[in-house]
Amino acid sequence: MWSKIVSYIPDWTVFMQAAITLLFPIGLYYLYKHLYFYVGSGRSKESGANSQDEHKKADNDGVNQQQAASTVFTQDYDADLAVIRTALGGNSDVHFREFSVKGIQARAALVYVEGMQDEELINQQVLQNLMFAGEMQASEGIYTYMKQNMLPLAQLSDARDLDHLQESVLFGYTALIVEGMREMLLVGFPHGAVRAITEPTSEALLRGPRIGFTEVLSENTSMLRRQGLNKNLEMKMVEVGSEIKKSLVIAYMKNIVNPDLLKEVNERISKIDMDFILESGYVEQLIEDDYLSPFQQTQNTERPDRVIASLLEGRIAILLDGTPFALIVPVTFSMLLQSPEDYYERWFPGTLLRVLRFCAAFLALLAPALYISFISFHPGLIPTQLAISIIEARQGVPFPALIEVLILEISIEILREAGIRLPKPIGPAMGIVGGLIIGDAAVQAGIVSPFLVIVVAVTAISSFSIPMYSAGITLRILRFAGMLFAAVLGMYGTILFFLLICSHLTRLSSFGVPYITPISPFRVSDWKDLFIRAPLSIMKRRPEMLKTQKKNRKS
Amino acid sequence: MFKRTDDKITTSQAAIVLTNSMLGAGILTLPRDLVKAVQTPDAWVSVVLGGVVVFMVIMIMVKLSQQFPGKTVFQYSKRIVGNLPGGVLSSLLILYFIVVAGFEIRVLAEVTLFFLLEGTPIWAIVMPFIWVGTYLVYGGINSIARVFQIVFPISIFILIICFILSSRIFDIHHLRPFMSEGLMPVIRGMKSGILIFTGCEVVMTMTAFMEHPQEAVKGMMVGFCIPLVLYLVTVVMVIGGLSINSVITSTWPTIDLVRSLEISGFFFERFEFPLLVIWLMQMFCNFCSFFFNASLGISQVFNLKIHPVMFALMPVIFICTMIPQRINDVFRLGDSIGYMGVLIFMLLPLLLSIVLLIRKKGLKQNV
Repeated sequence: MWSKIVSYIPDWTVFMQAAITLLFPIGLYYLYKHLYFYVGSGRSKESGANSQDEHKKADNDGVNQQQAASTVFTQDYDADLAVIRTALGGNSDVHFREFSVKGIQARAALVYVEGMQDEELINQQVLQNLMFAGEMQASEGIYTYMKQNMLPLAQLSDARDLDHLQESVLFGYTALIVEGMREMLLVGFPHGAVRAITEPTSEALLRGPRIGFTEVLSENTSMLRRQGLNKNLEMKMVEVGSEIKKSLVIAYMKNIVNPDLLKEVNERISKIDMDFILESGYVEQLIEDDYLSPFQQTQNTERPDRVIASLLEGRIAILLDGTPFALIVPVTFSMLLQSPEDYYERWFPGTLLRVLRFCAAFLALLAPALYISFISFHPGLIPTQLAISIIEARQGVPFPALIEVLILEISIEILREAGIRLPKPIGPAMGIVGGLIIGDAAVQAGIVSPFLVIVVAVTAISSFSIPMYSAGITLRILRFAGMLFAAVLGMYGTILFFLLICSHLTRLSSFGVPYITPISPFRVSDWKDLFIRAPLSIMKRRPEMLKTQKKNRKS
Repeated sequence: MFKRTDDKITTSQAAIVLTNSMLGAGILTLPRDLVKAVQTPDAWVSVVLGGVVVFMVIMIMVKLSQQFPGKTVFQYSKRIVGNLPGGVLSSLLILYFIVVAGFEIRVLAEVTLFFLLEGTPIWAIVMPFIWVGTYLVYGGINSIARVFQIVFPISIFILIICFILSSRIFDIHHLRPFMSEGLMPVIRGMKSGILIFTGCEVVMTMTAFMEHPQEAVKGMMVGFCIPLVLYLVTVVMVIGGLSINSVITSTWPTIDLVRSLEISGFFFERFEFPLLVIWLMQMFCNFCSFFFNASLGISQVFNLKIHPVMFALMPVIFICTMIPQRINDVFRLGDSIGYMGVLIFMLLPLLLSIVLLIRKKGLKQNV
């Protein structure tokens, strides 16, 4: 009995392997933990609080002095002007235009930055009115009187203190200082150089509105407003950035959005701590759930129609000044494979295109991995004729399948990257040179097999057919991982890779919405808008996953 | 709440978890085991009978678990029979889960070595499998249920296609004569008939995770009927397609069945490849389910945190996998798992419910 048991006790090698089984994941786990903590510590105000405190202490004295000197306006015109002059005088493009207000016999000054003021508006509406107005009786005080009777401007605001005044002037406002008036007025609106509204280049459509967001926030919000009459579209302005402040707008439908989701978004945005938010990509990276995941957890778009459609589904849009890319949260995986055109076309073509895109995503992710596993591990699993012709074509290729695929995949990636950087007229030519000539020459030279050229080309085209450029990049990265799995364990490795991706996706969520819902968690009613795009008359309800206030789309 | 903080699963998820915990190695091994034991074409009757028995046991398990909402068997067994006996029973169940998990991986490794990766060292197959499984299990029951939800439709789809295609070589004569030797052979096959449903023990833990425990009966019934039907169809198709004589001699009869059909003009000429793919994924689900339940059990019985337990279980399962030396050992292990399964059925749900009943009756008399 005992000897029988002993005979079944495995060798020490098995125990060693068991130890590796344990140690490898533990190592990975700690690496991941540390990386997660390390990356996460620089993200938000809370976790970065410790390091910030030290800075604050160091800066404290300087800040205190500055604040004491600057905040309050005296009512003395000369003193105020002198303070402003010292504060702004360092900039050679700041101009002071002094004049006198005829009506109340007071001196006044306009402060503005050259090139940013609206010259015509200032001349006609401010200077003319103030310089030529007749006598008046300032019974309610100069401030109210001027605001009500002398400045025919729609946009008129006060400067709270010198800091604010300084920032506003340098941002392009024109400040008006009048003797005897405590408040300082900001009269002219910033008038910087803007780009014309053009068709969005990253999301071109055949059918659908040709309008795309621009870099000016107010124009972007107005594009959303102009979609139609509605009183529930709410836009909240938030300031982000500690050194250079920028405005950020959170847009949502008041009567549809889930209040908990809104709270979550607001909270995450308020935690952003960065000296300057250059693009909405900054916001995206600072508010996403899992920052070590290869999958993006917000959707970026240039299209107002896409944003408004998402708002009506109960999502939230984040628009940032200075970028044409708006963010949509929460996002699910299927959204990245959808295009607004699916809804504009009739439902048959919409459905067909969707299914096509899912196939394309599958190919873009796994085609090279499948090639490697079939060629180097299981040629017996493909039809014999095909296997023979592939093997014949590969006869002269001196490399294993992995190296062969890597050579071509990497050169395609380089080609694509080069194509983006090149000026427009050269780009397509470069594509032809790279794609055709290099591919053909590589086959002729016997580095790769012609069959592989087909595989790689199909893969590349598939990844272009994904409507979101950034989702395409994700699949490109993962494709290389899949190729490694396939190179080591063949088909078995590819299956493990697929299961690993599935496991990762199920653990991922975007603002509390599981990333691959409605596939899992399974929501039947949301399947109408997944692989098939059901006729519009059937899609009566908003997506269930967003737990909206108003469930029905129809009145 | 918009963000879910509790780790609960819906009724349909629970059904799929149960299905995926049972539908595994059996698809490939069941027909041979069964036919070997029964020796007549009535093997499928054993599946039905085994199914009925297991079904009743599942109902008892559900009813028992519903008495203790939110508690798994590891927690309520202590309440019913006391701390020490409860701990012993739970440990038995945990051991069972670990052994089955190791067995599943071993079967998977054997099949992979035989059909896909000849000459690869076995550890190279087992280790990544355990790692990927751990990554999934680490995410908790919700992630597991979601992955099952992705894998399940793919499996069903491919399986049904395989069945439809194999109906071309299906011959009803292979299934005749019906009951030529009476009921005895069928009874002999009952053990294999019950063995294929190993994994149904997860009912005792799954009920605790359900969002609506009152719907457990419905969910578990659906979750049980799917594998029952699939197994039944598998047995009927394999025997009908190959006849019992060739089933006994083949190691993996289901694959042989699918291999024997050739579809010309399709990308895969033989359908064994997609069958193997979904079977591998199904085994992954199976393994994850057992792995999760084993680590859950250890953490609840011994009051440990679940994540370190998962790490600690990885080498244990690895060693379990490597213990059988030859493929015959693997099949013998499968047999003893069957006996162990019956023992667990007798011990846990039956014993616990009897004790519970006696206690309740006793309390009533006292009142």
